[in-house]
Amino acid sequence: MDEQTPIDNNTPPESNAPETSPSPENRSSHSSQMLAGAVLAILIVVGLYFVNRYWITPAVRAQSKTDSSHPMAPEISLTDTTGLPLKLSDYKGRVVILDFWATWCGPCRIEIPGFIDLQKRYGTQGLNVIGISMDDSPEPVVDFYKELQMNYPVAVGNSRHGELYGGIPGLPTTFVIGRDGRIYAKHVGATDPNVFESEIKELLAASPQGEVTNFHQVGQIFQEDKLELGDPAVIDSEVPGVDLTKLTAEQKETFKKKLENQQCTCGCKRNLLNCRLNDRNCSTSKQMAKDQLAAFISGKDTGPVSTPAPAPAPPPATKDNKPMIPIATPAPTPNKQN
Amino acid sequence: MGDMWTPARGLALMLLVASLGWAQGANPVVEARSVTATDAVHADSVVKLAVLAQVAAGYHINDHKPTLDYLIPTKFAVEPSEQFTVKSVSYPKGTPVKFAFNDGPLSVYEGQVIVGVLLQAGKPLAPGTYTLKAKFSYQACNDHSCLAPTSVPVPLTLKVVPPNVPLKPVESDVFKRIKFE
Repeated sequence: MDEQTPIDNNTPPESNAPETSPSPENRSSHSSQMLAGAVLAILIVVGLYFVNRYWITPAVRAQSKTDSSHPMAPEISLTDTTGLPLKLSDYKGRVVILDFWATWCGPCRIEIPGFIDLQKRYGTQGLNVIGISMDDSPEPVVDFYKELQMNYPVAVGNSRHGELYGGIPGLPTTFVIGRDGRIYAKHVGATDPNVFESEIKELLAASPQGEVTNFHQVGQIFQEDKLELGDPAVIDSEVPGVDLTKLTAEQKETFKKKLENQQCTCGCKRNLLNCRLNDRNCSTSKQMAKDQLAAFISGKDTGPVSTPAPAPAPPPATKDNKPMIPIATPAPTPNKQN
Repeated sequence: MGDMWTPARGLALMLLVASLGWAQGANPVVEARSVTATDAVHADSVVKLAVLAQVAAGYHINDHKPTLDYLIPTKFAVEPSEQFTVKSVSYPKGTPVKFAFNDGPLSVYEGQVIVGVLLQAGKPLAPGTYTLKAKFSYQACNDHSCLAPTSVPVPLTLKVVPPNVPLKPVESDVFKRIKFE
């Protein structure tokens, strides 16, 4: 290192020291720097771990699940596979795992032994598992129930029940309901029993009075886990899936006739109304009926019913008494339906 | 400080959701179309038809002869018609695949599924275009969840030409892959 290296006057002199044959002082300084670097690196890694563990992850969970209050679980009233009435509201004060499943669904079947075990271990502490099978008929459900010696009630539900819970994107879909009757978690897909155990422990420890405000859903959070419940006014509409609350009774009948006179294009060979009534899952008829309703309300209706569509009833007023949508012509009779 | 880092949290959330999200959305898991072995058909002849179904990536549908009794088989059905009758439907052999939810492998269809159909064209059949209604029924799952059994319509369009009009083969590579029963 006899050659002169350009010296940057802003650089501390140590940095220009020769790299070979360092003096004992420089060697010691170099070792100290390396040690400090290693310690810094370890601190960064540990720091990142703690940032993720205690800051980012809770924030992600909080944004996913605790931005708003937990919705109340919609009522389900059915008869279970043993012939007994099964009403969700009867379980208020207890923690409920509400499992939407089917016998033809492999990922659903693999979860059942875990639920049986949880019911055994936590039943006396206030847990009830409830199964809502989405099978078409009870026979395979009864057989499976007996085969696995299931220790919790199971009833055969239908797509309406799924719609009440915001739609079931895939089976199994499981809701964890607190003692206060609120939904605290939704899991789509086969889920580790430890996830449910962790969640129910938290809810079992909570008071039946009041919402558990610091609850965090455990496990992987999928987009489909988002908690959005269905609107009973739409689900239980005379045209399922289509909100008719803005129409008068007379308008509803006219609209239904219009749907009866139109063929559904989904391939079901039914008219639009019958397709809606017989196949709630048909997205084609749902969209067609919605489009027809929009045309009916806007007065741009050119469908098969020859009589002109009457003007829609006034929509429900908002708190400041302003209508929710602009109405050109007031309806002849006030809407007393619903 | 907390507010300053909100975009970072949002980004982390987006990345998490994106990395964990499924291919399951408004799009159907299976899309299907049909093709005839020739550009047209003759009256009083056997018509070879292929149904090409495409299963979305990440999903599978059950074999026509499923491994387990409780699984819902894949089926193709044609609505009865006066002009054409179904002679046979030939399904491909499924692929054995191991899933997290079952101990042993299950015979399933993934990717493209080709079903062969033999139709008998009626004897008195006027030249023209005929459309038959058919559906491809399936029940799809991925590794950790299942969708409800459903079906997709598969319209079959058959052009009948006079016997003296020669027929040209269509998509012969597809038909080579079918073992007609």
